[in-house]
Amino acid sequence: MSRIPNQQHELPVAPETLSSMLARMLPAGADDGDLYIEQGTSESLALEEGRVKHISASSHQGLGARVIRGEAAGHAYTDRLEPEALMEAARAARAIAGGEQPRAPVAIHAAGAAPRLYQQDDPALHVPLTARKDMLERLDRLARSIDTRVRQVFASIASSFSDIHIIRMDGTHIHDARPLVRLNISVVVEENGKRETGSAGGGGRFPLERLLAGDEAERLVREAVRLAVLNLDAREAPAGSMPVVLGPGWPGILLHEAIGHGLEGDFNRKGTSVFSEKMGKRVAAPGITVVDDGSIAERRGSLSVDDEGTQSQRTVLIEDGILTGYLLDRQNARLLGMQPTGNGRRESYAHPVLPRMTNTFMLAGKDRPEDILTSLERGIYAVNFGGGQVDITSGKFVFTTSEAYYVEGGRIQYPVKGATLIGSGHEVLQKVSMIGNDLQLDPGVGTCGKGGQSVPVGVGLPTIRIDELTIGGTQA
Amino acid sequence: MSDIRNRQTDLSLQAGQLVEAALKAGAVHADALAVADTGNSICIRNGQIESVEREDGRGIGLRAFVETPKGLAFATASGTDVSEAGLRTLAEQVVAMARISEPDPDAVPPVGAEHPDATAIADWQQRHPERDSGWTIDQARDAALACEAIARAYSPEISNSEGADASFGTSRVAYAASDGFAAGYSKSSASLSVSVIAGTGEQMQRDYAWHRALLAKRLKSPEHIAGEAAERAVRRLGASGMDSGRATIVFEPRVASSLISHLTGAINGRAVLQKRSFLAGDNGRMIFPGFVNIVDDPDHDEGLANRLFDGEGTRCRRRTLIDAGRLTGFLTDRYAAGRLQCEATGHARRGLTGDTGIGPSNVIWQGGGHDQQTIIDGIDHGLLVTELIGFGVNGVTGDYSRGAGGFLIENGRISKPVQGVTIAGNLKEMFANIRQVGSDLTWFGSVAVPSVAIDAMTVAGQ
Repeated sequence: MSRIPNQQHELPVAPETLSSMLARMLPAGADDGDLYIEQGTSESLALEEGRVKHISASSHQGLGARVIRGEAAGHAYTDRLEPEALMEAARAARAIAGGEQPRAPVAIHAAGAAPRLYQQDDPALHVPLTARKDMLERLDRLARSIDTRVRQVFASIASSFSDIHIIRMDGTHIHDARPLVRLNISVVVEENGKRETGSAGGGGRFPLERLLAGDEAERLVREAVRLAVLNLDAREAPAGSMPVVLGPGWPGILLHEAIGHGLEGDFNRKGTSVFSEKMGKRVAAPGITVVDDGSIAERRGSLSVDDEGTQSQRTVLIEDGILTGYLLDRQNARLLGMQPTGNGRRESYAHPVLPRMTNTFMLAGKDRPEDILTSLERGIYAVNFGGGQVDITSGKFVFTTSEAYYVEGGRIQYPVKGATLIGSGHEVLQKVSMIGNDLQLDPGVGTCGKGGQSVPVGVGLPTIRIDELTIGGTQA
Repeated sequence: MSDIRNRQTDLSLQAGQLVEAALKAGAVHADALAVADTGNSICIRNGQIESVEREDGRGIGLRAFVETPKGLAFATASGTDVSEAGLRTLAEQVVAMARISEPDPDAVPPVGAEHPDATAIADWQQRHPERDSGWTIDQARDAALACEAIARAYSPEISNSEGADASFGTSRVAYAASDGFAAGYSKSSASLSVSVIAGTGEQMQRDYAWHRALLAKRLKSPEHIAGEAAERAVRRLGASGMDSGRATIVFEPRVASSLISHLTGAINGRAVLQKRSFLAGDNGRMIFPGFVNIVDDPDHDEGLANRLFDGEGTRCRRRTLIDAGRLTGFLTDRYAAGRLQCEATGHARRGLTGDTGIGPSNVIWQGGGHDQQTIIDGIDHGLLVTELIGFGVNGVTGDYSRGAGGFLIENGRISKPVQGVTIAGNLKEMFANIRQVGSDLTWFGSVAVPSVAIDAMTVAGQ
């Protein structure tokens, strides 16, 4: 099978060419600028109707050139790594510079390596396509054997590997190689003409064989079937404002939508986020600490270095309820007079850098999860979610349940249909009254969209109780 | 102009060579795409250039079928290396993967589709000539500068700007199949958008407006776009919640366009085959009131999704999707058509890699006889929805629950701005409960839609 054609980890463009590109594109007055070279491959196998009917692959390469001056950025990209196309990109990126004098050329030199948080090889290297296909077929049979109501099984295994070179304005060369794997299972069940779906997935920046070995894949199949069958019995969700208990793990999407986006540096520098003037102020109940941590080994949202070459770190966003930090790329950090936090990310060489989240989660508290649930007189216990969205200016955010229960007297009564929950990011965490001791990170399925760019992210949460949130059901 | 033609010829050559390479590598059938996109965009914020971007991208994609004792199997792959060796490597990779794929007795290879004939192609090229958007980077900059300045000056309530963006470019596509069909086209586009903020602190409200057209001269004016964005942001100031309960929901055209995507997602032939559609059993049935008519038109002056043939080379034709409330059939590619035993409707949607999908061209929800004010006049308790957020739509069951903002309607009048609520129902019931359709048909790229009023939805608020 063909892999990245060039020798991995080595610069696919001559250092002399890169050096003259930097000199050509960077005017004397530039504050920053870089070249970003990416070579990547991905493979995906998809099963439906019991057969792996479709295998697909892609490979791509390209270079993005960027010039930063003050609040302005020039960005150009090309997927032709030939000198003429590269020089044309350098010229286009310089468009914001006007007639200023170019800089003297600098030599390209390697930076000291940041600690590697994941292996530097193609994660699918040791699992042949045939083995991946056999695995999907086995999972399909398993799903159908678990419950006779299973009508359709969709299963997929996806892997990708990107080799990234960042050349900074001063000639520093930073390299990262990023593996990513993912297994997804989705089923359709049918009973008495009524159909429902359930899905489960997992993955991260580790070798594919680990995702497919052991019980994890089987556990995901059982989870997808359990959710689909559960939803067959789901009743209408209530409509209105009431207390909500969120389960641990993926419900951390609450943090991602409610506060994470609102703390991204670009919105705060521009004053367009509802959090813009809240630094040092209370935005959450005492006891709540929220961090963004891109430095956890092998997580889906982790990065050894971000897409500007800044080493990943743990950034405390909220400490004991007080807003303490923003998520910053280099440009916004400089304009705000702060340090970059390793959150400058881009979907690919063809996209500009934006401040983005990595793995965002709330630290554990002291309450036992069972006590949190029994505290609920009448409300919703939400364990699993689909996607969410936020308007960072008004602070309104939503996220939609995929597994939730109506609770009365501290006891689960019945499952409810998927409902959208809506709240205000600057208010919701002030209404948290209990924090569980059971912090979990999500299974490695998150993808975040911003400005038309998608990047892998992680979230995490202990069980928490929110005293008031609006539930968008149909039972008014 | 000759430069454009040369590039189109290059793409056609690449697509054709890729098919040849696949056959040489052992495929029995193959089809290929070659694309090239060039574009520029410029963003202005607070009267200054915030970013200038230049795009120069291209790609090739191949689908190859191999013969096995159990039937045809296939695989797909994409790449960016268009050298002779690059094409050969890609072809060998796809054929090797196809040999591992499980054969599908229902597989439909790229042979014998109803392709457009030479006359149709020549006619199309004459009516849709190759041209660029008509903007230079300086003209785009000036449009964005004007648009942002007008939006910021629109009202003293406008407190901040997220900037105005002007972009333009050209996309070129060439398709070739092993049955000999080969064709391509290029499409220009230009767009202008602006986003501004009204109010301050926790009272801030943001809104935006945008327009995209094939040619810059067909864009709405900077004044029009700026006025729309600023007006929308200002009128949201002071928004609060509303009481939970049943209400009539009026979707203004901008948000009603999402109802079209829910419909086209549910009548997607592959979703129907996979039992993933709440309309799977409704072919030929009344799913809307009799006054609802919706068409798919692949050749419309205003539409941005015009196409002569789909992702498998099947000729596209105008088609009525909803005829006086009745669902006339499903959208299909050749595979779904074979399995559903109906004709291929020319809705195959292909990326460079990945399985074939299905999607509409331009969808037009024909307007009714009432202007929006008349619709509101007749509503005692309702919500005019101007914004929707979130993804709370279950395509299998039709269950619907999304975050909403807009304006409370009381006794036939708009009374106050609303935010932080949800609207919920079930799409099948929502379609059936449409009360009125507005006369305010508005185009958004490749959909045209009027205001749509739906009875008996649930609002969750305080």
